[in-house]
Amino acid sequence: MLSIKNLNVAINGQQILKDFNLEIKTGEVHAIMGPNGTGKSTLASTLAGKEAYEVLSGEVIFKGKDLLEMSPDERAREGVFLAFQYPVEIPGVTVTNFMKAAINAKRRHFGLDPMDAKDFLKLMRQKMELVEIKKEMMSRSLNEGFSGGEKKRNEIFQMAMLEPSLCILDETDSGLDIDALRIVANGINKLRSPERSFLVITHYQRLLNYIVPDVVHVMFGGKIVKSGGKELALELEEKGYDWIKDEVAAEA
Amino acid sequence: MSFADKINSEFELAEKNASGEHVLAHIRKDAFTSFQKLGIPGNRHEEWRYTNIKTQLPETLSIAGHTTWNVSKDGFNGFADIKATKLVFLNGVLNTGLSTIIEETGVTVGSLKEHLGHNTALTEKYFGKLVNKYEDHFSMLNTAFVNDGAFVHVKKGITATHPIFIINLYNSPENFTQSRNLIIVEESSKLDVIVDFQNQGSSSYYNHVSECFVGNNADLNVTKLQTSTQHTTAVHTLEAEVGRYAKFTCTTISLEAKLIRNTTNVRLCGENSEAHLNGLYYGTGTSLIDNHILVDHLVPNCQSNQLYKGILDEEATGVFNGKIFVKQDAQKTNAFQSSKAILLSDEASINSKPQLEIFADDVKCSHGAAIGQLSQDEVFYLRARGIHESDAKSILTYAFASQIINTITTDALKVYLDNNLKERLHLNF
Repeated sequence: MLSIKNLNVAINGQQILKDFNLEIKTGEVHAIMGPNGTGKSTLASTLAGKEAYEVLSGEVIFKGKDLLEMSPDERAREGVFLAFQYPVEIPGVTVTNFMKAAINAKRRHFGLDPMDAKDFLKLMRQKMELVEIKKEMMSRSLNEGFSGGEKKRNEIFQMAMLEPSLCILDETDSGLDIDALRIVANGINKLRSPERSFLVITHYQRLLNYIVPDVVHVMFGGKIVKSGGKELALELEEKGYDWIKDEVAAEA
Repeated sequence: MSFADKINSEFELAEKNASGEHVLAHIRKDAFTSFQKLGIPGNRHEEWRYTNIKTQLPETLSIAGHTTWNVSKDGFNGFADIKATKLVFLNGVLNTGLSTIIEETGVTVGSLKEHLGHNTALTEKYFGKLVNKYEDHFSMLNTAFVNDGAFVHVKKGITATHPIFIINLYNSPENFTQSRNLIIVEESSKLDVIVDFQNQGSSSYYNHVSECFVGNNADLNVTKLQTSTQHTTAVHTLEAEVGRYAKFTCTTISLEAKLIRNTTNVRLCGENSEAHLNGLYYGTGTSLIDNHILVDHLVPNCQSNQLYKGILDEEATGVFNGKIFVKQDAQKTNAFQSSKAILLSDEASINSKPQLEIFADDVKCSHGAAIGQLSQDEVFYLRARGIHESDAKSILTYAFASQIINTITTDALKVYLDNNLKERLHLNF
């Protein structure tokens, strides 16, 4: 599904990702953990195609295609979805209109006609249930005045609507209380399927209690320094990140 | 012959031909004397610095000239979806055949010429009474020359059920057509007025003046539409005087223009009155859209809001001048102004000038002006969901504009403008 090889990325002239490598197979759920400032969000933004992130070298192959050659919107239409850590508030654009534009952009990309209004509403209703979103939210301006929990639920709702192949969750658990976390995690779990891969970026282990990963990676200093099974997350929770830092220092 | 000489001789001729309208004759003569002193302003005049109207009015234009042409019922946008009394004017002259009137008790509508011609008292009381308050070249010219226009009168205590829709069609490439509205809403009455301007010819030049009298405790809501005005060079002046506990709302939507100047002056003359001036302008090509607005607080305890938004693309130019005057007596004034403009191309420009002149000491006045581009973060968020960059920008532009459209209270009109904007931006949600 996704193959990242020797990826080097800088922002504002400062290199953040350093020879980053990652392989995600179809249907797998990978978690990336690590201390703050280690490049986790840079990885997410780079994969989504945010302009400020400058790729110095390396390659990213997504479903056999060169991802780095695609514009941000093309990546999304091809099936990459980034659930933002801080979703942007956009006054004047309703959730409904936003989703209609996004769905139809994707359909057009695959040579399909715009979705019929009735089918669209039906699809919306179905997906709203998934993350327990009320109907009223659909006619509200996108993220405007939404609580932290509502914003994240809305991200997962969008993910459900667009049915991506690769879901990148950037600190989706940040700013969520335990109830919201449960709802969001349940929504994500319902979207797990053999055709869909996940990259879950998180600082804390608690999200992984709900979304059980196949592989856990520890990121430090712009690259993955340790990988393991789900038990690695528990070990990190228990011992913190310092032992990883020591290990890296010892190897150097 | 210079343009000024030409205008002089045209006035003399018009004066000679006019008969039996003594009150009007005096008003015209006075206005023309004022105009002669002022002339057509050049860009050295502070109020016309960024809109060089003088160079945009060909000197061959006739002021008194009138062109007629045939228009069929479906030869213009009649806004079939909006239920209203519709008055249709061809180059400023009422066409009864194209107009449809819904009779309402206490509401009188019709031709200005007819109503003023029959009623000296009415003419003396209202005609030209609001346009001599500020130095205004074009209002004076209009008063001197205008022949007809819309007359709307709502009697005391009447709430009009349907809006009055004034549809102005212009086809005047050779004339600088003078057209006019006189709107009177008496004490405790309520009325919505929509004024639309449509260009029918290869180009149109006109000078339109509206005088609005808002009686005590009355409520007048005027929406001006400039949505079919691509080849239009026009000067609009709207003057309103608002009485005690009364409310005046004016929304100006300019989506097309060659050159359009909208001057909107509101005088809050009665205590506890309020004014709301909203505007949306969207310029493309080489169009120039200029909004000069003024709320003049003359008495205490009044409030006013100015909310303008502009979108400028390609090589379009915008001008915004927002004045708030608070006179010495106008204590406890509450006045607010917000002007925002987005520039969608490197060649587009906006000249924005807030102008607050406050002579009272116990007032709340604030203003905010912002000029910028679409937010990159917002564009990226939309693109991250698969929406093409150009569509993302259109959606955000639509969102920016919709704040003004959403203030419109006539639903069918809101829908019309919403669709117009979507079509313009190639959006189909």
